[in-house]
Amino acid sequence: MASSLSEKWVLVIDDLEGMRSQLRMSLTSSGFAKLHLSSGIKDALERMAVNRYDIILCDYSLGDSTNGQQFLEYLRTHDLIAHNTIFIMITAEQAYEKVVAAAECAPDDYLLKPFTSAQFDMRLEKLLARQGHFSGIDVAADEQNWTKVIAECDRKLAVKDKYFIDLCKIKSSALLAANRSQEAADLYLEILSMRPIGWAKLGLARAYAKLGKKEEAQELLREILADTPQYMAAYDLLGTLLEQSGDKHAALDVLQKAREISPGTMSRIRELSSIAVSAGKPELAETVMREALLKHKYSPVRQANDYAVLSKALVHQGKASEALSVVADGKKSFTDEHSSVVFSVSESVAHHAAGSLELAEAALEQAMSGGDLNQLSAQAVVSLADACFVLGKEEEGTKLLRHVVQNNQGDDAIHAKVHDVLTAAGKDATEASEMIEDCNKEVILLNNDGVRKAEAGQLAEAIELLCEAADRLPNNMQIVSNAALVIALDLSRNGKDPDKFGKCVHYRSLLINKSPNHPKLVQIDGLLQKLA
Amino acid sequence: MNDLYAAIIHDVKNQLAELSLRLGARSDAQVEMGIAMSAARRLSEMLLLHRQDSDQLSVNSDSVDPVGFLAILAAEYRELFPNIHIEVNTDQAPPFAFFDDALMRMALGNAIHNACRCAHSTVKLVAYQQDKMLVLEVSDDGPGYSDSLLQDSGAKPSAVSGHGTGLGLYLARKIAELHHLEEQHGSVALSNSGGAVFRMVLP
Repeated sequence: MASSLSEKWVLVIDDLEGMRSQLRMSLTSSGFAKLHLSSGIKDALERMAVNRYDIILCDYSLGDSTNGQQFLEYLRTHDLIAHNTIFIMITAEQAYEKVVAAAECAPDDYLLKPFTSAQFDMRLEKLLARQGHFSGIDVAADEQNWTKVIAECDRKLAVKDKYFIDLCKIKSSALLAANRSQEAADLYLEILSMRPIGWAKLGLARAYAKLGKKEEAQELLREILADTPQYMAAYDLLGTLLEQSGDKHAALDVLQKAREISPGTMSRIRELSSIAVSAGKPELAETVMREALLKHKYSPVRQANDYAVLSKALVHQGKASEALSVVADGKKSFTDEHSSVVFSVSESVAHHAAGSLELAEAALEQAMSGGDLNQLSAQAVVSLADACFVLGKEEEGTKLLRHVVQNNQGDDAIHAKVHDVLTAAGKDATEASEMIEDCNKEVILLNNDGVRKAEAGQLAEAIELLCEAADRLPNNMQIVSNAALVIALDLSRNGKDPDKFGKCVHYRSLLINKSPNHPKLVQIDGLLQKLA
Repeated sequence: MNDLYAAIIHDVKNQLAELSLRLGARSDAQVEMGIAMSAARRLSEMLLLHRQDSDQLSVNSDSVDPVGFLAILAAEYRELFPNIHIEVNTDQAPPFAFFDDALMRMALGNAIHNACRCAHSTVKLVAYQQDKMLVLEVSDDGPGYSDSLLQDSGAKPSAVSGHGTGLGLYLARKIAELHHLEEQHGSVALSNSGGAVFRMVLP
């Protein structure tokens, strides 16, 4: 195996110099030649930005900052690590359960200290064999080509070998990602009939949630937690489901319980503190977020919005000047355009609370001058709307929220946040729900109108209507896909037109980026191919 | 055991492990490395036992390839006991089985360690399926288990034999019992047949 090993790129991350040199020695004697050593995740991220590693060895404990598990979660959620990269966590026995229970974001393997070099070599050999076996699937997963992932899995599943359950796991999560939730649920049930494995129950809960069976999903999650209280991902999903159902206090309880077991990843802290603010517990939000930001000081796992949430928690307790200093602190770490909008919004609300109305107006104007709404995250637009309501600009606020709802059709989490802003602005819950529903209906009617015009042969009108909507709501895949489809239809009937063709390709690429397995892609591509 | 003791044991264990790694890097200290490593592992077991006592130990079963599982264990103990011939037979093993890889590694590793110490020359590792149960077997060609150990089978941690196998055996039984499928629990059976035979049976 030595010859192939010398071609593999390896990254070792450990804060202890002694451990790093031991691992280097071990790896060199096993035949690895391309080695990089990092003492922390900041350095590791810089290296990963310019080099693609085949193997990453990371110690769970990295001093008193972000730990290995939190780092791995960050890499996976930000797509900073290829599916085919082997990530090995090195842990001591106390952290072992934390690593194993993090099934949603598990490392490919973990080495329990102490280990011998023979043990290490054998494990690596096994992982490298697996890496080779799964490379086709992993490449397809990197491209988010779920149809291909599923097909590749099916091909390999025919042989019931040692990778059988692994393949089932990959296939079922690909089915979920492709929104084939019923098939995913069926496969999870099939796995569970063999053995009640934690990740399969969690996957089934996820599938149920997507299928609208929220009760069943919650019940299953409670069952997982009764069996395995360390199963952190189950708390997170249960918290999210409870929040979406409007039961903020129950959601808070669940996330608090999770926090007692493990302070956890930044995304849980984020969820917990923003729910706490909207559930009228700003003190809790402040405590949790302050602690986390202190722990992850200088760490890349933070986001500008974390400071915004803390600032909001402070404003709700009447501590406006503290809120402003938190924002000033955040500005030191985040200087990009998106973050500056987030911070301006926070400043505006804090100034308003402090009674400095002119400063509040100026900050809001600064935030609104960003121009293109579609360059902002949905969360940022929701916060912007919130600030508008606080400053009494109801019309602007409503307009922003309409945009968010229509541009994030079917996204329950975003809709729950919009609902929060509306109720905080004094609407009652029913009124808020109706407003969201009206926005949804409006965009569906618009879409149907466009489709009907196209069917009636009024292609020019259909194109005008749908393109205007698609440019305004580039994240609404129903609109974007139909815009691409009507142009493709027009091109196939009325001949080539470079301008229209360019537009069609543009919408098609939006569609592929967001939803690579969208059913309309086949129709669009079929029509475009006929042109050639 | 209180948490302070646990923390101290943990620390000493890490120091032993580092000592072992350093010895391993030298060509003239392989036996010493083995001693330090086995001491570190004993401490790991004690810590795990501590977790069991305080009800913190939980089983995370997942799919494991028994062939690879035994191959890794064999490689590890060949390094520690270069004079013992370790045979692996997985011809009758299923392609995949369900258990907690790390816990089972600890339980079986201990059994292999004891077998290597008692063996005359050979230790055999076998995996096979019997009545829908997975059997993992460790046998040696040494003098076999003592009568008292055969009767007790590690029911109590205090049943320490001359070689200190009691704790490991107790832990192995606990780990076996924690593995269950509905009402069926795993178990450990000891017997003598041309040497000691340690049998782990999992549902």
